[in-house]
Amino acid sequence: MKNRIKVYRAMHDLTQEALASRIGVTRQTIQAIETGKYDPSLSLAWKIACYFHTTIEDIFNLTCPEEPGE
Amino acid sequence: MRKHVFYLISVLVAILELILFFWALGNGTPLPFVAGLFLGIAVIYLSRLYVEEIIEDERVQKIREKTAYSTLQISWIALLAFSLWMIIEGSAGRFNPELRRLGIFGIGLFMVNAGMVIVFILLFFYYRKQYGE
Repeated sequence: MKNRIKVYRAMHDLTQEALASRIGVTRQTIQAIETGKYDPSLSLAWKIACYFHTTIEDIFNLTCPEEPGE
Repeated sequence: MRKHVFYLISVLVAILELILFFWALGNGTPLPFVAGLFLGIAVIYLSRLYVEEIIEDERVQKIREKTAYSTLQISWIALLAFSLWMIIEGSAGRFNPELRRLGIFGIGLFMVNAGMVIVFILLFFYYRKQYGE
């Protein structure tokens, strides 16, 4: 899942470590989300969005999966 | 408590367990080692509660869940194959006490494997109920 966490981190002048400690996860988790290797749970996505005072849709690129046959 | 202190305690407990194991091995008394093992696990578990830094989050939990499930599947298959092999080998030597013992051990191992499957099924139903059914 593509996301704009790196952009938001830069806007708030935050390192991965700082963001991780503020939302209660490890630095490796932030890195994995940023590189698209790990999709966060809804509650973690919500926490990230709330921390940056924005919406989940603004940070995460949410597109509906195509139905088979379309 | 800092993360490093917790890791240091864990290493110290592991070293003490190792010393206790060899001491028990030399004396032929397993009870102090088993008691020490439970105590060591309790010390690690309790000290983990006092770690202020984050050492586990949802990603680590997910990795652990997947690792545990895969390990369980591999262990089941390996244990089943090993126990059946011993049962067959043991049944071939009805009049050989050595092979007979191997067969009995194979049956024991098979029972342990079956017990693991039963525990898995019971826990599966427990968690299914807990997560809404």
